[in-house]
Amino acid sequence: MNSYLPEYFKEFELIWESRDTYTIHLPKENPGKAGQFYMLSSPGIGEAPISVASGHLREMLFTIRSVGTVTSKLPDARVIGVRGPYGTSWPWERYGKILAVAGGIGIPPINSLFDEMVGTGRGKDLEIIYGARSPSDLIYHKQRKEWAKMANVIITVDKGDPNWKGNVGFVTQFISKSETDRDGAVFIIGPPLMMKNSVAESLEAGFRPENIYLSLERRMECGIGVCGHCNVGEFYACEDGPIFQYSAVKHLPELFL
Amino acid sequence: MNYILTDEDMKILFSRIKEEYDTYGTVEKEGDIVYEKVDGFESITFGRSRYAPKEFLIERNENVLNLPVQQKKAVFGVMSCDLKGFYVMDKQILGKDPFYTQRRQNTLFVNFPCNVECEGGFCSSFGGPLLDEFQIQVARDGDDFIVSASKEYEHLFDGFRKTGDEQIRKLRKNFLKNAKQLPVEGIENRIKWDSKLWKKYSSVCISCGACNYSCPTCYCFDLFDQDDGRIREWDSCILSGFTSTSAGNVRKELDERLRQRFYHKFVYYRKSQGEYLCTGCNRCTEDCPVDIDIKEVVTHDYSSE
Ligand SMILES: Cc1cc2nc3c(=O)[nH]c(=O)nc-3n(C[C@H](O)[C@H](O)[C@H](O)COP(=O)(O)OP(=O)(O)OC[C@H]3O[C@@H](n4cnc5c(N)ncnc54)[C@H](O)[C@@H]3O)c2cc1C
Ligand code: SF4
Ligand code: SF4
Ligand code: FES
Repeated sequence: MNSYLPEYFKEFELIWESRDTYTIHLPKENPGKAGQFYMLSSPGIGEAPISVASGHLREMLFTIRSVGTVTSKLPDARVIGVRGPYGTSWPWERYGKILAVAGGIGIPPINSLFDEMVGTGRGKDLEIIYGARSPSDLIYHKQRKEWAKMANVIITVDKGDPNWKGNVGFVTQFISKSETDRDGAVFIIGPPLMMKNSVAESLEAGFRPENIYLSLERRMECGIGVCGHCNVGEFYACEDGPIFQYSAVKHLPELFL
Repeated sequence: MNYILTDEDMKILFSRIKEEYDTYGTVEKEGDIVYEKVDGFESITFGRSRYAPKEFLIERNENVLNLPVQQKKAVFGVMSCDLKGFYVMDKQILGKDPFYTQRRQNTLFVNFPCNVECEGGFCSSFGGPLLDEFQIQVARDGDDFIVSASKEYEHLFDGFRKTGDEQIRKLRKNFLKNAKQLPVEGIENRIKWDSKLWKKYSSVCISCGACNYSCPTCYCFDLFDQDDGRIREWDSCILSGFTSTSAGNVRKELDERLRQRFYHKFVYYRKSQGEYLCTGCNRCTEDCPVDIDIKEVVTHDYSSE
């Protein structure tokens, strides 16, 4: 079997979430788990690793920010290819309470996490802090309402605008006020600096290093541990990650770019 | 099992192998030794090929959307340092990459261990050149060929004279007498993240990637779409785009990338797979246009920094 061959979809739905971010909805059940990723592609355009945005066994959703060659062209593609799922997932089943901290385009795998926890009646065990650069960069308006029905949700922006009445400030500022009990887990995903600061804040707030998990972004070509691009010290982010236990990787000097 | 074969026996062995496999071997061409299709044992030149034979398993450039049916190939004349490269890479790649895996399973490498260590080479630092793992190994002791076969190839040796381990042990002893065994063991603990070596190297390295391309254990590749294909092409961790992402680049500077190459070989792979990702072939050093010598990374006195 050729593991590089994607499954192709001609029928799919494209939903714009903001001026640079869109969701691709594929008519296929997601065998993967929250935190895992797939290689999304289109013939002639190329492949990119994208986290699954829906929960285990839901229809596949991928929310993508247009940043370069592949991600800017996928919205115009007539065929979407997908292979996976790959990598590790958020270990939410092992914990009583969970605080998820997401910055920017880090939010899709947290939506997936929410899906899964709600699906087993554990939505109330989740707390979400989600931050974006500006109000217009905040995505998932509908989903955010769903989260808020179950979970404690804090939304914040780095910089507001005249119509913005919500929180202003980095996600890190809200960690110490978290309602999640300190034996719980913290799941962190976002830009490198945001993750670094969020780890520091979580430790400061009393969470334990072995209960903090990070989703690390690295350049990925293969997704299956053979192209050598995604290493984080002795680990490959595509097979040992992308979700890493902080205590297992904190010794690595290249952890945060 | 070990066998003593004469030159005539080797020809018989070759033809038995040829019944099952397409046969390739090292031949001399315009001053270089290269791998080519060969029809008889007498066409094979003993000597190290200009390029490592990793292309038999990882092509420079190929379309991953099209997995061809693999021919059974037998490759004669592989140096032990190059052969060891396959066993080391297997740990990370075998069973995961379908191209590598299918070719590995359909290729019989017949390795020719050296009798004296080559200039610059340091295979004895990694257990070479008489290895514990091989398919068919052809050592030379005077006019005798001491041929060792792993189990699945025993059927090719019907009627040949069996022998014990004495000659192999003698060859190993003779080899080690004049070999430069480097203090590799424990390098993963001695090497320093902030060593001045990395900047010393980056001040001269021209980022040509030759060290990666020539190496029998460098397996990294890039994937990109071209025409109707998704092309996998040998890549180099020395190039700046290797780790660039939308979130930034973990190794913006050349010294960081050079350090990565040596850390992968001597620290990371040792931790993840229990082995060094180097076989001491010295190809990277020979092919480096600015004479960066990997042996220095092993022998350097980090404790004085
Ligand atoms: C596990 C994982 C999950 C992810 N999940 C998501 C997700 O859910 N949603 C999402 O939007 N993104 C996600 N990403 C990020 C996404 O994979 C990247 O944004 C995407 O691969 C970019 O590909 P591209 O071809 O569009 O951009 P590229 O063309 O590769 O460009 C990306 C950036 O890198 C720079 N760059 C590219 N090549 C070079 C070079 N040779 N030299 C210098 N700079 C270069 C570009 O300038 C640009 O800033 C995830 C990444 C990982 C690893
Ligand atoms: S000596 Fe250089 S080329 Fe040879 S295996 Fe070691 S790193 Fe690779
Ligand atoms: S071969 Fe030498 S010059 Fe070329 S990339 Fe490697 S270290 Fe740099
Ligand atoms: S993406 Fe290829 S090794 Fe991880």
